[in-house]
Amino acid sequence: MSELVEVLRYREVLWNLVRRNLKVRYKNSVLGFAWSLLNPLLQIGVWWFLFKVILPGRGEANFMAILVTGFLPWLFFSQTILDSTACVSQEMAIIKKAYFPRTVLPISVLLSNLIHLGFAFIVLLVLFAIWRVDVNAHYLLVIPATVLLALFAYGLSAMLAAWSAFYADVKFIVSNLLGVWFFLVPVLYPLYVALGADRPAGNWLETLIHHALPVIKQLYMLDPVTVAIVAYRSALLHGGANPVVHSESPWLADQYPLWPYVVGAAVISVAVAIIGQMIYQRKADLFAEQG
Amino acid sequence: MSAIEVRDVWKRYRRPHQQVSSLKEAVFSFLRGQSGYEEFWALKDISFSVEAGEAIGLVGPNGSGKSTLLGLMARVLKPTQGSIGVEGRVCPLLELGTGFHLELTGRENVFLNASLLGLTNRETARRYPDIVDFAELGDVMDAPVKTYSTGMVIRLGFSVAVHLDPDVLLIDEVLGVGDEHFQHKSFGRLMDFKREGRTIFVVSHNLEAVRKICDRAIWLDRGRMVKDTDSEEVVTKYRAAVAAWERSLEETRAGDARPG
Repeated sequence: MSELVEVLRYREVLWNLVRRNLKVRYKNSVLGFAWSLLNPLLQIGVWWFLFKVILPGRGEANFMAILVTGFLPWLFFSQTILDSTACVSQEMAIIKKAYFPRTVLPISVLLSNLIHLGFAFIVLLVLFAIWRVDVNAHYLLVIPATVLLALFAYGLSAMLAAWSAFYADVKFIVSNLLGVWFFLVPVLYPLYVALGADRPAGNWLETLIHHALPVIKQLYMLDPVTVAIVAYRSALLHGGANPVVHSESPWLADQYPLWPYVVGAAVISVAVAIIGQMIYQRKADLFAEQG
Repeated sequence: MSAIEVRDVWKRYRRPHQQVSSLKEAVFSFLRGQSGYEEFWALKDISFSVEAGEAIGLVGPNGSGKSTLLGLMARVLKPTQGSIGVEGRVCPLLELGTGFHLELTGRENVFLNASLLGLTNRETARRYPDIVDFAELGDVMDAPVKTYSTGMVIRLGFSVAVHLDPDVLLIDEVLGVGDEHFQHKSFGRLMDFKREGRTIFVVSHNLEAVRKICDRAIWLDRGRMVKDTDSEEVVTKYRAAVAAWERSLEETRAGDARPG
């Protein structure tokens, strides 16, 4: 707690670091800040090509809107985690030079990425206008969903920032795990594909999977990233006068009891944030003694 | 009221036997049953207090714990045992200019650096012209710092530090920075500080500078305090000790050379 008060006292440093992060990411690139919009757009272009040209006939009329809406929280989450693995080693110079509450570093990573998320939202609204998609009644639900996801991302960031200060491997492990994690959240496929998965019992391996699946599905639904993605889609695309997707759409989780998982994911997020912060503070005293 | 209060301070470093920087190495050294660490006491039982307005020099050979002590006072490091209290705004000048971000411009770095040392952006903006002026870098402040020469970076770092209005200035081996002209200027600035009644703590191998700036000096050797008294006396005794040590080295070498 006292560390957070201290961070508030050093908010000027925090703000300068956030501005620095935003500037440095695209320094030396001709297009500069445009890259923070171009990157997701290019990614979306690839999917458009995949789902509309190579594999047409899949999904619904507003398939692209559904994809992009789910992609935003993922992009925020993965980029925050990835940035955190570099945030301590990059700032070694100032860590050795002056005192400041070290918690400023992971918080600055979180804030920079929240700002990027804000810019991405603007792009999303432009795309919605082009695709003639109405933004819907429950759009404010995006805020609690983002808070939940941000807490989860922060906790993991703090942990990873602390460990990556001592072990260079953390960075590589994280980037690989994120590659796997991307397919463990419903960005590219609807929730029902994951929840409907079933394997009949057969040989020992099939039997094992058969019995493990219900547990895996529970864990899948408790993943705060999954919950945030589903919540983004429900908030922006569903309900209102001109719903993009209907309640029966497989892309929404209306047919599943979602609230228990929202509560569960919120508990997990808060716990991860607290544990991450504790680990970070314990390690932070030793940062300045690193080579 | 003391400006700096150092009481029974011990500082231990744990050095890995070999630099372990990957998990694989960590796992292997664990499996081999190595503890992985070698303990090293950089400071042993250091106590002293400094009155506001004193100028103190810290002398001693390499590895005697001078920079560690300064790092502790700057709150960059934490003591293993004991306590350290520093009153007022502390401005550490440790590893000058290294806190700069190479991709950012001189101007951006000034604001970032000053905020790290406790200034609000508004206060920095007010002092900005003086900072640029003192560093004599008026025409390059909007160029990235990576295009600066070493001397320019050091001048800018020093200039930021001395414009912060610190109560306590901690200086690590940065007295001889810049060219002859800038050295005179920075030396003059330190003497101004002293006249203004600010507390100055200097680590330096430049004994002449220590003698000139400081009234009092502390001599460290292998983490222990050897002497803490008038700077004139400490410098003289320290010089004598170094000379004696060099003589003994010479004799051993002469002894080794003798056949038999």
